[in-house]
Amino acid sequence: MGQTEQKIIRKAVAGDRAAFRELVLEHSHAMFRLAWRLSSNESAAEDIVQEAFIKAWRKIGSFRMESSFKSWLHRITVNTAMDYLRKQSRRKKFETEEPEWDPGLKSAEIPSHDTQIDIRKQTEAAMKGLSEIERSALLLKHFEGHSINEVAQILEITTGACKQAIFRAVKKMRIALRPLVTT
Amino acid sequence: MKHITDDDLTLLFYGEHENPALAATVAESEELSARFDALCAELRLADSFVPPHRGDDYGADIWQKISPHLDGERVESSSRIKIWLASLSQPRFSLAGALSFVLVAALAFTLGRNGGQEVINDPGDPVNSTAATLANIDPNRLLTHSVSGHLEQVNLVLTQFANASETSASEAGYATDMLVANRLYRQAATTRGNHKLAAFLADLEPLLIELAYEAQSGSPATRERMQKEVRNGLLFRVRVMNKQLNKPQISV
Repeated sequence: MGQTEQKIIRKAVAGDRAAFRELVLEHSHAMFRLAWRLSSNESAAEDIVQEAFIKAWRKIGSFRMESSFKSWLHRITVNTAMDYLRKQSRRKKFETEEPEWDPGLKSAEIPSHDTQIDIRKQTEAAMKGLSEIERSALLLKHFEGHSINEVAQILEITTGACKQAIFRAVKKMRIALRPLVTT
Repeated sequence: MKHITDDDLTLLFYGEHENPALAATVAESEELSARFDALCAELRLADSFVPPHRGDDYGADIWQKISPHLDGERVESSSRIKIWLASLSQPRFSLAGALSFVLVAALAFTLGRNGGQEVINDPGDPVNSTAATLANIDPNRLLTHSVSGHLEQVNLVLTQFANASETSASEAGYATDMLVANRLYRQAATTRGNHKLAAFLADLEPLLIELAYEAQSGSPATRERMQKEVRNGLLFRVRVMNKQLNKPQISV
């Protein structure tokens, strides 16, 4: 984190909208990637990113400069995504009784690979087989490179619980992806 | 010895295991190595979970959409501001060369600690002569030598990255492998008390993460920024550090 960004954050904390705009420009792509991986849905990810930035602006006055801005933004994004997906899930259940993201889907239920293997789709399906906490913990660890302690802080759980969530997620992903590994 | 579980291997994969000797234990055992390789192969498939591309003006689009909604109530800062932003980025890791290094270093350390008392220097016996050679290896020199080789590879890949106008499929693969190696070397440097080297390798990791996960899926602007970062300092630092490592008198 450069000094320039620290200055920008300080200005944004003080209420400078232009400074906050800089932060939006800087972090929007990364926020979208995280939101998309959490939701597996492009339009949902768009909504989550916008909502998360609006929340970030409202809360930025409480941001503590000694902590990491990236972790802080990730926490807001994860929480926003969870709220969004729960709402969507409830709405879909009400409408069709078939939620778009069913955290209860077991890895064993993921379609096995056939001649037309699409690894990306299978990975996506495997991700959908994870619970909210498993999925979030795995994404923050695997793709965002946070340490387990940081993931625990972002998800507001204990380090032990975070480790267990990652272990469970990894086990499920391995079961789902194992048939696709070429030997 | 305590049974090594898949959870232990997962922590090793993410460079988070508390036991620094685990990598050597895994490298020593054929069964553990096979289990670890399988875990790596399966988890690497998850890397295909790549989000759709967003253009350079994505941030500006977002701003345009959210700016009318920013007039709501804000939570004001109540505490005095202290400025220090911790660097994050603890990426994932790599394998073969780095694990080999850890194994050799562990063997050298063990044999060296035993003072070579049980090693008979019979030049006709390849096992004993190998053991005697290992016993004479200084783990610190082995570390600097191994990291030097690692940095040469990093230098090569970063140079190619800095000069390439388009992404190549092999780029992310190389970066992932380098991450693995980088993490193991960083842990080894920390274990051996070479904090300067450990800090340097830690500085390298965020870029390797970006190379592995973002260079291909990110926008051209992201790639350009990364290339600029590489050209404007990182490449130079890698070369300087490598030169220092190749000077045996200079402690790093």
